[in-house]
Amino acid sequence: MPELSAAGESVEPQENPRELAIIQQWFQTVIMHPDGVTAGVDSAEARQQIDISPDELEQVVTRSAARSSLQRMEVYANAYYARLLECMGNEFPALQHAVGEEAFGGFAFGFLQQYPSSSYTLAELGSRFPRYLKESRPPGEGGSPWWMDFVIDLATYERACSEVFDAPGPEGEPWLTADNLAAVPPEQWSSARLRLVQPLRLMTFDYPVHDYVTAVRQGREPAAPVQAVTRLAVSRRDYIVRRNVVTEIQFELLRALQQGLRLGEALEAAVTAVPDPQVDLAAELGNWFRDWAAAGLIRGISTDSDPEPPTEPAAAPKQD
Amino acid sequence: MTIPERLGLPHAGYGVGLRNVHFAHILNHNPAVDWFEIISENYMDSHGPPRYVLDQIAERYPVVMHGVSLSIGSSDPLDMDYLRKLRSLADSVGSLWVSDHVCWTGIAGLNAHDLLPVPFTEATLRHVIERIRIVQDVLERPLVLENPSTYVTFARSTMTEAEFLTRMATEADCGLLLDVNNVYVSSVNHDLDPQEFIRNLPHERVVQFHLAGHTSYGTHCIDTHDSEVIDPVWDLYRLAHELTGGASTLLEWDAKIPPFPVVHQEVLKAVDRINHRLTPAETMDETPPRPENGFARPDEGTATVPQPATMISAEVE
Repeated sequence: MPELSAAGESVEPQENPRELAIIQQWFQTVIMHPDGVTAGVDSAEARQQIDISPDELEQVVTRSAARSSLQRMEVYANAYYARLLECMGNEFPALQHAVGEEAFGGFAFGFLQQYPSSSYTLAELGSRFPRYLKESRPPGEGGSPWWMDFVIDLATYERACSEVFDAPGPEGEPWLTADNLAAVPPEQWSSARLRLVQPLRLMTFDYPVHDYVTAVRQGREPAAPVQAVTRLAVSRRDYIVRRNVVTEIQFELLRALQQGLRLGEALEAAVTAVPDPQVDLAAELGNWFRDWAAAGLIRGISTDSDPEPPTEPAAAPKQD
Repeated sequence: MTIPERLGLPHAGYGVGLRNVHFAHILNHNPAVDWFEIISENYMDSHGPPRYVLDQIAERYPVVMHGVSLSIGSSDPLDMDYLRKLRSLADSVGSLWVSDHVCWTGIAGLNAHDLLPVPFTEATLRHVIERIRIVQDVLERPLVLENPSTYVTFARSTMTEAEFLTRMATEADCGLLLDVNNVYVSSVNHDLDPQEFIRNLPHERVVQFHLAGHTSYGTHCIDTHDSEVIDPVWDLYRLAHELTGGASTLLEWDAKIPPFPVVHQEVLKAVDRINHRLTPAETMDETPPRPENGFARPDEGTATVPQPATMISAEVE
């Protein structure tokens, strides 16, 4: 029987209160080791818990009639990465399609070592994947191939889709109609507040990732990505994630409205951010609001004369 | 003291594990299923389609919550936030009971998302019993724990799995979810007698059965939930039924999932199997099925993912 060496305790095996923790820490270290069970058993971290060599594995894990201890442990080690890689592929199908299964597996394998799951739910597994890809991008100017930017864009967008998919949503809420908009007196538009849909993610990308993702999810071969700054309003309607392409001035206006600014203030902020919007705002604004209401992006409008106070903007809206 | 059968919990009939590929069929066709079992973690934090669908199904069918992340055997502290969410969901959907596995899923704050085996020692037993009591206090309902499929055993174990489960259930006053397929898989993997395992359990505490398919590699089995239930497992099920007097029965199918009617039909076979008597020629065959019997023997080099591998992917336009 191997000595359980943690904390230098030397007590009878069944009386060691840390025995279970030691075995579990050892087991986890071994099955999560990127180089397999043999390397895991022989690692310093594992040997700090249970000081055995791979040849001595039977002292901890018994063999069966047909299988060695090593082979039996390999079931768990293989399953650990296989299961989580499968889950990553389910969450990032377009990214997997773009780089191929082998390269995707490499990304995901590195990610799982850097950011192993610490949540009870697999829904959280991919939350730090875009961050990992950014961190692992080769440093220095010109050191990063163009496609790495596309990869990061894809990962960021696909993760946002997952989060929007399962966030508290607008289903069941009444829709804002054209009549609702028309009912606002012209003199009150400047001070009106528009309540935007929740969830709403306003995101900027270097590539039109939405077209690529949609093509992959529909089973079509996507066109090769061509760099083009792309601004998206990602939301949910009827329990399906929707994305609206918006212009730069529209993006800034929605962002200002999402922050809770009155319409006049929001327009001022948008024009400040985009001094030359190349559009006749006075002529187009009404069309935008009708389109956004029809798309479910605007869910309510309130003025100072309304009996109910305006809805508080969502705390710390997420910007990408 | 006489323990009421199934801890007084109902015999819900023959149910199916709820999987997202079947959402539309169930909502549109209202199949005559007795009950559904859900993977708790897929719904605990959901505010989107999964929860929307679950609420509709819970209005139409009895629901049982089956978790994969309670980690009752871990040395890490119990996750009280997780338990509160579990309780909240159970109250919300009226879960008939709440189940999970006799296992651990991670330590030091990590989650391997696997049902990892515990050594069957006195220390583990005391640890698990104490935690079951806490969980039952939080949930205010019996916890029902399942025997997982395992692929290793520990040299330090001092008792059999059946003895561990018996003492655990008795002393912690909890229920058992007897996964008959897992009994078979573990018995093949550890050179054990599956009938002896089932005979040695506290039958009055068996609240539920699980049935599923698995993958045989000849020398060992992997619990893949990707096929029909094989005959030796049905034989074990019949034995368990006779010994327990019957309990709610649930079929799990998690990979290569066929259309819903196929899955439903598979669990309904249980009724015929209960009534089917063994003939001398049908004595329990405990050797792994051979490929020529129509049983898959995948390439050893192919990664076979044991269950659970549970998540619901987003629907994107």
